[in-house]
Amino acid sequence: MAVAVGGLELRGPVLAASGTFGYGTEVPLLERRALGAMVSKGIFLRPRAGTPPPRIAETPSGMLNAIGLQGPGADALVRDYAPRWAEWDFPVLVNINGESASEYGELTARLDGVPGIAGFEINISCPNVEQGGLYFGNDPRAAAAVTEAVRRRTKLPVWVKLTPMVSDIGVIARAVESAGADALCAINTFVGMSIDLNAYKPRLSFRTGGLSGPAIRPLAVHLAHQAARAVRIPVVGIGGIACADDALEFLVAGCTAVQVGTATFVNPKAIAEVHDGIAAFLEARGFATLAELPRYLPRD
Amino acid sequence: MSGGRPSLFLLDAPVTSKRPAARGMFVISMRAPEIARAVRAGQFVNLGWAGGPLLRRPFSVYRAEDDEIEVVLKSVGAGTEQLLAMKHGGVVSCLGPLGRGFDLKGKSAVLISGGLGVAPMPLAARDAKAAGLRVTWVHGARTAAELCAESAGDEVVWATDDGSKGFHGTAVAAAADADVVLACGPNRMLAAVAERWPEAQVAVETYMGCGTGVCLGCAVPLKRGGYDRACKEGPVYRAADIDWSALPSHLSYAVTA
Repeated sequence: MAVAVGGLELRGPVLAASGTFGYGTEVPLLERRALGAMVSKGIFLRPRAGTPPPRIAETPSGMLNAIGLQGPGADALVRDYAPRWAEWDFPVLVNINGESASEYGELTARLDGVPGIAGFEINISCPNVEQGGLYFGNDPRAAAAVTEAVRRRTKLPVWVKLTPMVSDIGVIARAVESAGADALCAINTFVGMSIDLNAYKPRLSFRTGGLSGPAIRPLAVHLAHQAARAVRIPVVGIGGIACADDALEFLVAGCTAVQVGTATFVNPKAIAEVHDGIAAFLEARGFATLAELPRYLPRD
Repeated sequence: MSGGRPSLFLLDAPVTSKRPAARGMFVISMRAPEIARAVRAGQFVNLGWAGGPLLRRPFSVYRAEDDEIEVVLKSVGAGTEQLLAMKHGGVVSCLGPLGRGFDLKGKSAVLISGGLGVAPMPLAARDAKAAGLRVTWVHGARTAAELCAESAGDEVVWATDDGSKGFHGTAVAAAADADVVLACGPNRMLAAVAERWPEAQVAVETYMGCGTGVCLGCAVPLKRGGYDRACKEGPVYRAADIDWSALPSHLSYAVTA
């Protein structure tokens, strides 16, 4: 089940998605053996309080969130979490954020070389911040500029997490590939809104939020597939994965690995179940390795 | 990954009974031995069930005895409707115990509950008595029909907004001082508790995602600025620590609904 993804050798193809695992230090009932890698909660250079409540709302087969990238900032991450990551037997990528390309670069420089940090996932797709976030993700030039700013500051693997809120994900995928990305993560949440019919206003204080969960899975499989067709670098599939078959859809559609997110909230054993289910599927179908899994990936 | 803590369990808990406690309010019992033994007053469980909503739903543990735990609920939406329709033997996935509970030190305790805010109180009465405190439970609701019929502790005071049973007025107004003040109910009521007893321990209700501290969905605004997590640092808070003006009081499933 080992896979190579954008400069990292992973023992398995199932990763913990950013924002659903904190910094990995207080995840309950975790079975570490199943974890290929973890992507940390998104971090900015400086501490951020996040958005006022209500921050989440459940929707059919999904949820909206507007956490607003609450976090302790880079210095606290280096001091409190990285030393613990350095002792773990799986790599940790840091999900990095900024309000400008230069701020992404500055953050990368602060984190580069810190023991425990194995790579970066550039977040150019968070829908829940006023400055930056999604803005960088739906403009190919801005996406490339951020990727270059990070690339220049580190030799560690650089992955880029793409937004689904674009008309052609292939254009963005190619732009960040050319700018030096080692892998793509597709996709982040969709922007959604839900109305409280008692209060006659949005259920989230931020007005909108990011939609995740099984509701988005077919959309995510399609977009991850479109991204994979457009580039030569690996694509990590994300979006509503709750069981092994869900993950296998992304893998057959051209992804090299997957991230599990919202499912972890519901089922603390989701990552282990997805991992074990993929292994059982491969065995049942007579595939000796994940590489033998047939792929459906006609190239653009 | 300090996880590994043996105090958290994920169990398939069969429903063993259901009984009415007030108009539209029910107590459901389920068999969850490890959780029943580990849970402390003020802690909660996060419940999910087949065919239910995507996210689990948090419930204070109402009582815990032998191998069983109880939760109290009202039908406030599709999820609670399904849970109430569950038959004897139906299985609920039960994650817990979660959160930080009440701290019980002193000679006397007053428990103040409004509406569904009874949820953590029987367990609080049990643990407070076990810790040697004299327990008075002040039980409030809008009307007698909505007042939970069950009680615990050495003394019980009833209060209704319309005067249909007991004290005519709020539970907060009916309560006397004590070494330890515990409160649970609508956030507006808890704000009133905070005015009168800044040191009170209040169990707050928020929307919740994971229940385990990773999603940051259950943010509670703090007086000193910033937020922390109802599921982890809470759900029990020192009343004076919360920025009540920033805590939503209009949850669509609010305890008064």
